Amino acid sequence: MTGDMSLAARQAPVDRATSIRRVVERFAKPPVVIGASVLLFWLACALFGNAFVPFDPYADDLLSTLTPPDGLHWFGTDQLGRDVLSRIIVGSRDILLIAPLATLLGVVSGSLVGLILGYVGGLTDIVGGRILDAFMALPFVVVVMMTLVAIGPSNITVITVIGLAYTPLVARTVRSAVREQREQDYISAARLSGENALSIMFLEILPNVRETIMVELVTRLGYAFFAVATLSFLGLGIQPPSADWGLAIAEGYGFLTGGMWWVVLFNSGAIVSLVLATNLIAHSLGAFEDSP
Amino acid sequence: MTERSDISTLRDLSGDIWNVAVDEYEKGFLKRRDLLKYAALIGLTGFATSQGLGISGSARAAGGQQGGTVRVALDQPTAAIDPILVTDPASIALISQVGEYLLLDDPKDGLLPKLALSWEADETAKTWTFKLRQGVKFHDGRFVTAKDVVATFERLVDPASGSSALSAYKGLLSKGGTRYVDEQTVAFDLDSPNSNFPFYVSSDVVNAVILPADYKGDFEKTFIGTGPFKLDAFLPKQGASFVRNADYWGEKALPDRVEIKFYNDPQAQVLALQAGQLDVIPYTPRSALAVGSNPAYKIISVQASTHDEVHLRTDQPVFEDKRVRRALALTIDREAIVKGLLKGRAIVGNDSPFAPVFSSTDPSVPQRKQDIGEAKRLLGEAGVANGFEVTLTTERAYDIPDYAVLIQNFAKKAGIDIKLNVLPQDAYYGSATFGNSPWLDSVLGITDFGHRGTPDIFLNATLKSSGTWNAAHFNNPTYDALLLDYSKARDLQAQRIAAGKIQNLLLDETPLIISYFSQYSRITSSKVDGVRFTAISHLLLDRVSFA
Repeated sequence: MTGDMSLAARQAPVDRATSIRRVVERFAKPPVVIGASVLLFWLACALFGNAFVPFDPYADDLLSTLTPPDGLHWFGTDQLGRDVLSRIIVGSRDILLIAPLATLLGVVSGSLVGLILGYVGGLTDIVGGRILDAFMALPFVVVVMMTLVAIGPSNITVITVIGLAYTPLVARTVRSAVREQREQDYISAARLSGENALSIMFLEILPNVRETIMVELVTRLGYAFFAVATLSFLGLGIQPPSADWGLAIAEGYGFLTGGMWWVVLFNSGAIVSLVLATNLIAHSLGAFEDSP
Repeated sequence: MTERSDISTLRDLSGDIWNVAVDEYEKGFLKRRDLLKYAALIGLTGFATSQGLGISGSARAAGGQQGGTVRVALDQPTAAIDPILVTDPASIALISQVGEYLLLDDPKDGLLPKLALSWEADETAKTWTFKLRQGVKFHDGRFVTAKDVVATFERLVDPASGSSALSAYKGLLSKGGTRYVDEQTVAFDLDSPNSNFPFYVSSDVVNAVILPADYKGDFEKTFIGTGPFKLDAFLPKQGASFVRNADYWGEKALPDRVEIKFYNDPQAQVLALQAGQLDVIPYTPRSALAVGSNPAYKIISVQASTHDEVHLRTDQPVFEDKRVRRALALTIDREAIVKGLLKGRAIVGNDSPFAPVFSSTDPSVPQRKQDIGEAKRLLGEAGVANGFEVTLTTERAYDIPDYAVLIQNFAKKAGIDIKLNVLPQDAYYGSATFGNSPWLDSVLGITDFGHRGTPDIFLNATLKSSGTWNAAHFNNPTYDALLLDYSKARDLQAQRIAAGKIQNLLLDETPLIISYFSQYSRITSSKVDGVRFTAISHLLLDRVSFA
């Protein structure tokens, strides 16, 4: 920031030290600690799972298919005789790669759109806002499914499609926050000091809506975990033989009526733990108070 | 009559073609039932039925009580119901309540006369003549005549009709080839000789339901046919009900009604069966595990030629080298797949469409077995000793994704790194034309094929150089010539010799991997008896009785 801008910066309503203190206070809460621990556990599984799995998660054993949990296979085996526990451990890899990248894409592009619409205002805001509303009126899962069917499923496609589907949601939230900031005195000061629109948007307003964006990031991440698992369950996401949890539930779901519950139960449990962990963190960051 | 000592009596029944089969029977190559099935194929229907062929249903009927409602679950039909266009199992089962064919290809008894009473070929097997059963009425009261049969087949071979049977009849029967002889006689002038032609006018070609000459394509309104049941009500996406046809030409149906409900999910079908709301549901391996060995349910199976075909693009790297194709085939442990994946409800395949259920299959051709050492040696010879990467494209249907994973794991043992691309079924088939279909364009793929009574359609459509389903892009003049020999072969021995040559050539070339032939099954409540079906999804409920 230049010397001329320091006045505007000093007048910014959110003080950096205060902001850090608030974040630390929020992270010191038990829900955040629990949520972060669970996330870290799954992250460790994704990164180093192969080192401590009891069995090769991809090796079939056609003579031991669908065996219930026992001393050898703690979580039982699936329809190809693969160890369910080992697959759950390494199965976190895809979802922990795809969901955060999709969220990041959605939040970055949504923030950009929101920033522009909120700052520029006028006709651009009205037209852009209506377009965002139109996109948001479309059912999320249906839009994502249709797109995936049309262009074919792959990890990159899933990331792109979920990211783009989140863009209008994030954009609307960020736009509201930017409009609020636009009316503040420090923005008027920045304009008077001759800053151009890009500088004001990215150097003045953006730092002051970062909390909103952070909250949006964590909230959307929770939904993204669920979205990735849903798409895998529907057969439109991750490809076999991935140990992905949603895919495993889709493969094991048909065995439920036969009393073979272990594949679905343990994989569902893994998804629930990840979504809950993210939501615990998001809740502590104020996600549910602030986001639409 | 059929004791081996009565061979001379058997010989007197017909000419040379029949006597070759009798020779095979005498030498023990042919079982009694297969001999009777062959008798039916060449039109010796009187002999076949006199020996007990085709009376199993009637025998069951004798002990059955009339009345009651059979409640059936089917999957959701994939399109509007029209016999000319039908391809999906649910629609076939639905149509089979009301529709009939000239012949029924019964899984146990082979070809049985339905609307045709007798049939015979000329010396060249290029012209086939069928005598129709008299006194058969459509559900609207009109009698079935040769005009209706001619119109039915002319529609099926007319490209303008969009008929789903065009692939089956390509190069065999063309427009103008079905001829009215008299009110009860129809002749088929074929494009090329074919000794198995009766199968092509049977239930094997599911579209060949006999419809009135003035049929307008409005099947869903009338469900017009000649069968033992007639339409009561049809609600798209929900289900249909049928009542006994009092004017049926044969034995009247035992049940008063058939009620069919469509389901989107096999789980829901199993739950409804377990709740006592259904009597018959489709089979899936998962549903079978759900009913397990519970005596309240029965799993009825018939041997079939149903299979999942792995195609290898013979015109593209790396499968253009037949040693590489053979190597991949040698990695597969077929016995393990049959036991583990298919729970024993299948028989091992030998990389050709000649399933053990076909009487023309040459059983002396050596069975291919897993041999990783030989696979590695072949890869080394082909210059890919360190293996290679390839993508296997397939459909999300039945057990195919699991089969794909097993192939991936087997191939890994020889250093072949297979990536999977599992698509929704519609996406996989695309427009089902070359250049517009992952099925027909992929380098390596798996496709499911339903049962047929003869291997002819598989051999013509999937392997002939001009075949419309030739996903392997197999272009082999020797094969095409052998296929012509096979089609022309008039007697069983000649067919088997030609079949053996084709089987050996396909083992050497390996454009396809066929690891197994699955049984076709349905799950029923133990309270019902007499449920019959074909391996191509017809569901025959007229002999059902309740315990």
